[in-house]
Amino acid sequence: MAMTASTITHDASSLQPLTTSRRRSPLTALVRRAFADARTRTIAFAYVFAAYGWLQAKGYHSAYPTLADRMAFARTFAGNDAIRLFYGYPYDVVTIGGYAAWRVGGTLALAAAAFGVLAAVRALRTEEEAGRAEIVLAGTVSRMIAFTSSMIAIALGVAILWAAELVGFLIGGLPFGGSAYLALATASVVVVFVGIGAVASQLASSRRTALALGIGAAALFWLLRVVSDIVGGAEWVRWVTPLGWAEELRPFAGPHPLILVLPAVATVPLLLVAARMSRTRDVGTGLVPTKDTARPSSRLLSSPTALALRRQRGVLAAWVLGIAAFAVVLGAISTSVSAAGISSKLQKEFAKFGSGSIVTPVGYLSFVFIVFIFAMCLFACSQMGFARQEEADQQLETLLAQPTSRYRWLGGRLLLAAVAVCFLAGLGGLVAWAGSASQGVAVSLPQLLEAGANCIPISLMVLGVAALIYSVLPRASSAISYSLVTVMFLWYLVGSLLGVPQWLVDLTPFRHIGLVPTQSFEVEAALVMVAVGVAAATAALVCFRRRDLLGY
Amino acid sequence: MTLVAIHTEDLSKRYGATLALDSLNLTLDVGEVYGYLGPNGAGKTTTIRLLLGLHQPSGGRAELFGVDAWSDPVQAHRRVAYVPGEPFLWPSLTGAETLEFLARVHGRVDTTYRDELVERFELDTSKKVRALSKGNRQKVQLIGALATRADLLLLDEPTAGLDPLMEMVFRQCVQEAKQRGQSVFLSSHILSEVEALCDRVGILRQGRLVEEGTLAQLRHISAQTIDVTFEGRTPEIPALPGVHVHTVGPNALRFEVFGPVRPVIAALGEYPIATLTSREPSLEEIFMHLYDSGDGDDR
Repeated sequence: MAMTASTITHDASSLQPLTTSRRRSPLTALVRRAFADARTRTIAFAYVFAAYGWLQAKGYHSAYPTLADRMAFARTFAGNDAIRLFYGYPYDVVTIGGYAAWRVGGTLALAAAAFGVLAAVRALRTEEEAGRAEIVLAGTVSRMIAFTSSMIAIALGVAILWAAELVGFLIGGLPFGGSAYLALATASVVVVFVGIGAVASQLASSRRTALALGIGAAALFWLLRVVSDIVGGAEWVRWVTPLGWAEELRPFAGPHPLILVLPAVATVPLLLVAARMSRTRDVGTGLVPTKDTARPSSRLLSSPTALALRRQRGVLAAWVLGIAAFAVVLGAISTSVSAAGISSKLQKEFAKFGSGSIVTPVGYLSFVFIVFIFAMCLFACSQMGFARQEEADQQLETLLAQPTSRYRWLGGRLLLAAVAVCFLAGLGGLVAWAGSASQGVAVSLPQLLEAGANCIPISLMVLGVAALIYSVLPRASSAISYSLVTVMFLWYLVGSLLGVPQWLVDLTPFRHIGLVPTQSFEVEAALVMVAVGVAAATAALVCFRRRDLLGY
Repeated sequence: MTLVAIHTEDLSKRYGATLALDSLNLTLDVGEVYGYLGPNGAGKTTTIRLLLGLHQPSGGRAELFGVDAWSDPVQAHRRVAYVPGEPFLWPSLTGAETLEFLARVHGRVDTTYRDELVERFELDTSKKVRALSKGNRQKVQLIGALATRADLLLLDEPTAGLDPLMEMVFRQCVQEAKQRGQSVFLSSHILSEVEALCDRVGILRQGRLVEEGTLAQLRHISAQTIDVTFEGRTPEIPALPGVHVHTVGPNALRFEVFGPVRPVIAALGEYPIATLTSREPSLEEIFMHLYDSGDGDDR
């Protein structure tokens, strides 16, 4: 191969000439590495963005073919404060584009925020915690180059997400310009949260804390957007949250492209601050000091299961707080749904979802509890993910070299997860009742406790299946379980709108849940789900007993 | 039949196309200290994982105190303590909490001895594991295992990361364990450590046990070294079968003797010898000899 200028420079500075080495710039190598590390997450998100964009456009098209349908929809459903909680403020839902902007923009903005935080923390803090950053910085790479390379790799990922969302809209039949702009609105959210994740990675010394900071910030900004969308007179709040800026860009509804300056103005200082922090602190540490010594506490050390509970105290507390906040808000705003003038046509469309009476507070609560059920299924996946992590970190090897059986370890984990699911489900019902009762909604505590309990069978099924996947395919298990649940849920949301055969729609287990309290608890389906969960968990125990532990 | 601490019969492990361990037959008597040597990737850690029932044998079987390691691991582990080669512990626990947890999970611990070990290894147990260096995390694991006073200690490169002073403490602890009648299976790279501690040594190479025996037995496979200096110039010595002669100075020769020493001594008797020293091969020389003389395709 040809000698390049850089090869010559390198040879001159070496004691022995490197005759076979092709010298690449370290920046390129680092960008490639970081980009490759993130590929699974990038592909998964790109897939969801494309599929979701396409399905919403397509679903709206087939569900509300005429202008009259769309007007009715706009008046009733979209104008509903309580619906805005998820989808944001609807500027124009009479056109497909405006509808897509509302339905896709609001939801994907949340996914975009999560992606931004995950990508930044993975590329910065995780690399440092694993000691890989030290290896890189021990070479001729400056901290600026290391930081910049991570950001370039993430920028490439963001570009892919933008393209994926655009393609989804285009296939769904939306015009190019508006679609590109709408996808840009989503991408602008990613960028801001990359900045937030980058700063969080400088502050925290562990990946877990950095993620908690970043996700916590995302949750806070989401709450601000919710307030701005549904509380009269609080519209100005929309200007302080990046999720609100995405709304104010108003794709397909009188666009305000100048607002794109806001995410840029927010992101640049965040990245500059993060870069500066990364240059001035000790590698491997965070700017927020951590306590490295502690007085010993013998609580929750009596068994592997007890230790798992002890190590997850913080995570479980976050779930409790998150569910409590979510449930109390839902309960409180359930009164704001109005029963005014919903057409019979729309009633029928929502009957396909299985929630005929969304316009009553009780009907609304039944509808949104579906989201809670989805969250509990994700919680079940996360519990198995935590068990998997203990194996990947080799702690399980130390444990199982003790007189501890594999059945006891995995069985204990499953039991702990099942108890946590039941507790969180009950808590959700209780707090939703407290929130709605405070606003005088006529719904009883047993009704909402039943709605909470309605989460349990499907979550237990997911838990059992996730355990089985973990036992058989430990390395890929988390990715498989999370995607399986997400795909099932998305299919539940949009499958019924696409006009595909009913048996195809019925494939997702979410279809078989009664929307309690409006509908009755589906005992038969619940029994089947619990039975599937127990059978899968049993199979998981058997398979786990028979396989080799992961080695390093 | 007397009970043995470790017994394996044609123990084999295959990972995909790689044969990591090939028909290992190993017996460790109660009270014996066994050194397990081999280069990186020879199958030492695989052996220990099979002995603990963490991986399933592809063929053969492994028993600890007569209990099958794969089919009944819990029973097999009751009399065993294990120190893994990499100190992976729970980062959020302090050293004291880790030791407490390990003791409770194992079910037996000598707390007096544990406190003594903490003193001797100079471990600050109030520190969280995530703030400990590799060597200090290794100490936590060692103390946890030794404090069980288990009948069999399975140690996988236990001194990686320890400083020389702590290495000495470790050796003392192993010797005390031996005196108490405990058995020790020590996988190691540190030949001096194995030489100082072990009654018997097994050498593993590409998944096969290529040599096994007491140190005295192993010495026969390598040369004995005799250094001789002469008064005046080095004489011409006739060639002897099984002896390599090297000139190491103007009046000094080194003889590497494979086999009996007598012919060399007899031959040397005619010459004016100033000094003569003889020494047995070190474990390092045996080790190097075995690996150099092999196929040379070690992974």
